[in-house]
Amino acid sequence: MANKSLVVAGLTRQFGAVTALDDFNLNVAKGELVALLGPSGCGKTTALRIIAGLEKSNAGRVQLNDKDITNDPAHIRNMGMVFQAYSLFPHLNVTENVAFGLKMRKISKSVREKKINAILELVGLEHHHKRFAHQLSGGQQQRVALARALVIEPEVLLLDEPLSALDAQVRTNLREEIRRLQLELGTTTLFVTHDQEEAMSISDRVGVMNKGKLEQIDTPDTLYNKPATEFVGAFVGTMNHIHTKLDNGKVNLFGQTLDAMKSGNESGNVVALIRPEAITVKTEGVANATVVTRSFLGASSRVTCRTQDGTYIEALMTSAATGDLHPGSEVQLQILSKEVLVTNV
Amino acid sequence: MKNIGSKLILVVTGIFIFFPLYAATEFSMRNGAEKTHGLNAYRWIFEQSGFSENLLITAKITVLAVFLNLIIMVPTVTWLHLNGQRYKRLVEVLTILPLIIPVVALATGAQLALPEILQNSVYELSFMYVVVAMPYTYRALDIGLSGHPLATLTNAARNLGASWLRVLTQVIVPTIRPSILAALFLMVALSLGEFTLAQLLHWSTFPVWVTNASQQNIIGATALAVGSLFFAWILLFGFTFFGGKKSNSVQEEA
Amino acid sequence: MKQATNPNVDVKGASSKGGAFHGFIRNFPTPLIPLFIFLSIFFLWPIGALTGNAFKSNEGAFTLSNINLLFQDPYRLAFKNSITLGFISALVGAIPGLLIAIAIEKQGSQTFKKFVASISGVLANTGGVPLAFMFLAAFGPAGLVISALKSIGLDLYGLGFTLFSFTGLVIVYAYFQIPIMVIVITPALSALRSEWKDSAASLGASKLQYWIRVGIPLLLPSFVACFLLLFASAFSAFATARALTVGNIALVPLQIGSLIDGNVTVNQFNLGYALAFGMIVVSLFAMVPYIWIQSRTAKWQHK
Repeated sequence: MANKSLVVAGLTRQFGAVTALDDFNLNVAKGELVALLGPSGCGKTTALRIIAGLEKSNAGRVQLNDKDITNDPAHIRNMGMVFQAYSLFPHLNVTENVAFGLKMRKISKSVREKKINAILELVGLEHHHKRFAHQLSGGQQQRVALARALVIEPEVLLLDEPLSALDAQVRTNLREEIRRLQLELGTTTLFVTHDQEEAMSISDRVGVMNKGKLEQIDTPDTLYNKPATEFVGAFVGTMNHIHTKLDNGKVNLFGQTLDAMKSGNESGNVVALIRPEAITVKTEGVANATVVTRSFLGASSRVTCRTQDGTYIEALMTSAATGDLHPGSEVQLQILSKEVLVTNV
Repeated sequence: MKNIGSKLILVVTGIFIFFPLYAATEFSMRNGAEKTHGLNAYRWIFEQSGFSENLLITAKITVLAVFLNLIIMVPTVTWLHLNGQRYKRLVEVLTILPLIIPVVALATGAQLALPEILQNSVYELSFMYVVVAMPYTYRALDIGLSGHPLATLTNAARNLGASWLRVLTQVIVPTIRPSILAALFLMVALSLGEFTLAQLLHWSTFPVWVTNASQQNIIGATALAVGSLFFAWILLFGFTFFGGKKSNSVQEEA
Repeated sequence: MKQATNPNVDVKGASSKGGAFHGFIRNFPTPLIPLFIFLSIFFLWPIGALTGNAFKSNEGAFTLSNINLLFQDPYRLAFKNSITLGFISALVGAIPGLLIAIAIEKQGSQTFKKFVASISGVLANTGGVPLAFMFLAAFGPAGLVISALKSIGLDLYGLGFTLFSFTGLVIVYAYFQIPIMVIVITPALSALRSEWKDSAASLGASKLQYWIRVGIPLLLPSFVACFLLLFASAFSAFATARALTVGNIALVPLQIGSLIDGNVTVNQFNLGYALAFGMIVVSLFAMVPYIWIQSRTAKWQHK
């Protein structure tokens, strides 16, 4: 039994006719960083806010360290929270912002000062004590917000799309920093985002949500290689969707017969899910597609092809291997594995 | 639970607002000492001699005030936005000064300082009204213009070969027309209701005349007060709820 | 320096007075000249003149005697009354106004808020004689409320209440003071981000603690600014005061009014200017901080 820090069971939330959350379940272990990933409106922020105590659920419970906190008001839950924007109190400087939670806990001044200095150093803002929010960049503001949330040594750190409002470069740097801080302090963290690269790159586990439901929660590797549903497959990384027939547990694609994973001896109409890097494009052999575009991405190149029946297929190959490919070239598509994922239509 | 408290506050507020209005409306519809009600009092003010002439005077003062306002404020604020960012602070300070001075004080100063020619004409009021309205009209124009990339539009027009006159009349003015209208509206509202300056400078304008006539007929005066309030409300409602549709930009040509 | 050589855009006040090539007068930008001239003639000069005359004796020499008179009754009383009226009216407008604005903010409906915004706009500009007549109809000696209360045995006028008094003015002024407060404080209220409320809660602050440490400090500047504005409004108001209380209580605007109308001893014709000057000084104390606060809070409120 892993050390269960946060347990959420059967959380449901309805707004009139709209179901924001549908039987949402989640276990987060101590010190784990779990991301909730999904498109707008999937319920991830609602779940986070219910866990934080800022909203109430219609059903379900929230447990922290085996204690039921479902009905506890937000301000006694001891969870640090960072928002997408407007995190900092505008009338307080950096030190006062970070001190806020400590003051609420009646920590003495000397202890407060020590903690604040330590945490500001940890986030790299030890020289910005007296600055105000409007004097800081977006990234700096979020770092102060992090410091403020972490200095109170919360049970859980809740992050609601903390990087979404920042520039691309700042985003990449800051997410690494969040991971670093979280590991160093051992803080249990729940991270909500709609950016799959963000979630996949720093999380221990990622939960993909859609329309109020948690579709799959697994390590990034598993999610990527073994998506449980078509939605997960499409949302995480790029995925080719090919409508085809399942015949006795096998499918026929581009002239190859492949085993359909987890399909026994079934038959029927299915969608085959294949990653671009699992497809290669050859100039020799029997042509079964035409190149539409080739995008040079540096080490690799993305090649989009159109098959005879009109399907667009995306392949990802090393750039060296694609030198001969031009729009209009007749090529052969080949799948590099012996088995393939399928989902029902 | 929370919402009950706030709803209660709003209901009580509603009563306080509408009750005097209701009382005034009821009062204004009384037919003198009789117990009946009617709209006679609403005709009263129109029937007084002096109605048309005083209304005309106020109308003329308003027209001049609006005109002065336009030719002074619009080019100035436009220039500030296009080319004169440096001076914005200065102008902001200058235009807010009238807010500091009580109108009564301004009236005594005007009586003392303004040249004879002006003081002999009722149109001195127009000039004073422009001053009194300035903090508001400047703000209205400033905020309005800030919403448009004037410099870009002007450059684009010039780039396409428009002369300065064309730029002004066919690009700038249409674009900022809503703000101009807002400033005008402020000016008109002020002018139609302004009592203090007119009274102290001993002019008979429509508001002054109405006040004096009101001494004779309280019911009629109340009717007028109620009528003008309702009228202002209807105007403002229209403005608020339908005024937004006016934002058609100058993109017919593209 | 500027203007004609600026590479960006060059526009002058096209249809204003003065030609296009007046040149500079000590680096003063030509387009601003019309505004400046206008303000000088119709604003700065009158103010300057009245200030000058406030310190002039009847013979034209410099004197403080006019100003000294202000500190003696009946003028001292008038200032005391006007200032008190300003203060009380500001309180009566500010506090209910804040509570009402909060109540409005709590309602979700956008149409309701728009509705409120228009009503507040009209009410805030309701004043002068029409307002006085409206209240007369409700609270005057023959007013609806008074008669209704009389019929149940409560004779307010018999008990000493009258609309034509200090109290009456405070009541009447409230009709536009409260909407002004609502109009001014609403943007400050909506600038209170929900993220701050949520952050405070997650950091351990109860609702009360949030208001004390975050909400009120953030609202305070606008509240104080509005209070000052309400004070200046009530202090300087003329038309309504004249309609309801002229002759009854000493108020500075009314005294100036009567001096201008010629009801004064001939020896002191500069007294009116001294009174006006006094008004300006009091008003300055309220309006300068008001303007300063507004310019500062504009920064983070519009972000």
